[in-house]
Amino acid sequence: MKLRFRLNGKFIALEIPGAERLIDLLRERLDLVGTKEGCGKGECGACTVLLDGKPVCSCLILAAQVAGREIVTIEGVAADKRYAQILNAFEETGAVQCGYCSPGMIVSTAALLEKDRHPSNEEIKRALAGNLCRCTGYSKIIEAVSRASELMAQDQK
Amino acid sequence: MIDQDTISPSNLRQALAARARPNVAVVAGGTDILVRLHDRVDRPWPKLLVLDGIKALGKITLHDDFVSIGPLITFSEIEISPIIKKYAPQLAQAATVAGSVQIRNRATIGGNIANASPAGDLIPPLYVLGVTLELSSARAKRLVSIEKFFVGPGKTILKSNELITAIRIPKIKSIGFFLRLGTRQALAISKVSVAAALRLKNGRISDAKIALGAVAPTVIRAGFAEEFLRGNRLDIALIHRAAETAASEARPIDDIRSIAAYRKEMVAVLMKRGLMKILESM
Repeated sequence: MKLRFRLNGKFIALEIPGAERLIDLLRERLDLVGTKEGCGKGECGACTVLLDGKPVCSCLILAAQVAGREIVTIEGVAADKRYAQILNAFEETGAVQCGYCSPGMIVSTAALLEKDRHPSNEEIKRALAGNLCRCTGYSKIIEAVSRASELMAQDQK
Repeated sequence: MIDQDTISPSNLRQALAARARPNVAVVAGGTDILVRLHDRVDRPWPKLLVLDGIKALGKITLHDDFVSIGPLITFSEIEISPIIKKYAPQLAQAATVAGSVQIRNRATIGGNIANASPAGDLIPPLYVLGVTLELSSARAKRLVSIEKFFVGPGKTILKSNELITAIRIPKIKSIGFFLRLGTRQALAISKVSVAAALRLKNGRISDAKIALGAVAPTVIRAGFAEEFLRGNRLDIALIHRAAETAASEARPIDDIRSIAAYRKEMVAVLMKRGLMKILESM
């Protein structure tokens, strides 16, 4: 089928087999390998992308379901100046170990901070509950999100 | 737009026509079916009927006697809907605690019903709210009580040419709750859940509906516990008796998520927790 959608700010149109998952389209066909596949079942959040600004698991969406809609991947978030401080904060606080969960964590963080500039620790935990990390633990990741919100607030001054 | 594997109709008429064809699986949010397809080895896949493009199935509308929820309304949309908060607070609570942000942004109420898991979190609230489902085929439309819809785990009376086209919630104001237990707060499938809707008149319970999830082949009503509550004043002794009665009505099994004995006991715990909160707020 012919699929048209907006990807990281650009309109794209391509021919795909109908039943392809979004994550396979992104990784295999479009070489956007920042998005990771962990469990393939929506449990781990490593494949999180933004669909019309909302975090979703790209392993649980058919490419056909994003027709006419907007997808932002970790590549789009990383290239967006508004979110630069999120990456800085993850680095600064050491919230990355093996890095496999980081794209999903950062995409979920971008969606949270877009909605709520000053989330509480509880709000951060709830927003990231769908993203699993199996190495650093969550303290540093939560710290990174808090730090990102501070850095973004400072930038606005 | 039809190709080898997916059918993406843009209106309901086209969708119902496609639904009548053989070997078609319906995709609403996709959060259950894509997991099933991922685990499947016996390819080829069925033809996937993708409902995303049908705007008419994604609306919440107010009618004289009922609120109509479109089957494509997501858990996230239920969480924030003021109409649902007003007429179906138990449903809003269930939508808030299920899954994760990513799942709630995609999972739909129609999908949760059609998937027919005894642990489906939106189903106990729909039981106590007295919901009616509108089932449509290309030729006819019928209304079915939510409690008559489920036959067993994953089994319903939905015919292979039908879609759930609306979820009708009667406009009856009640107080109630939805509580669940899982291995962790996010993402875990419920080991046990309880929903309740009570109506109070002059301090007495004029009507009570209790539904239990994940403790029988389908979600069930706790009819004896409801009897205990009806006509009485809510107090601690009544709460304890109703909770124990509800636990005795549960018929759980041992499975990968929990054991029967624990589930039964937790029915009483969740009943007490929910009813005590109502008592405290009176």
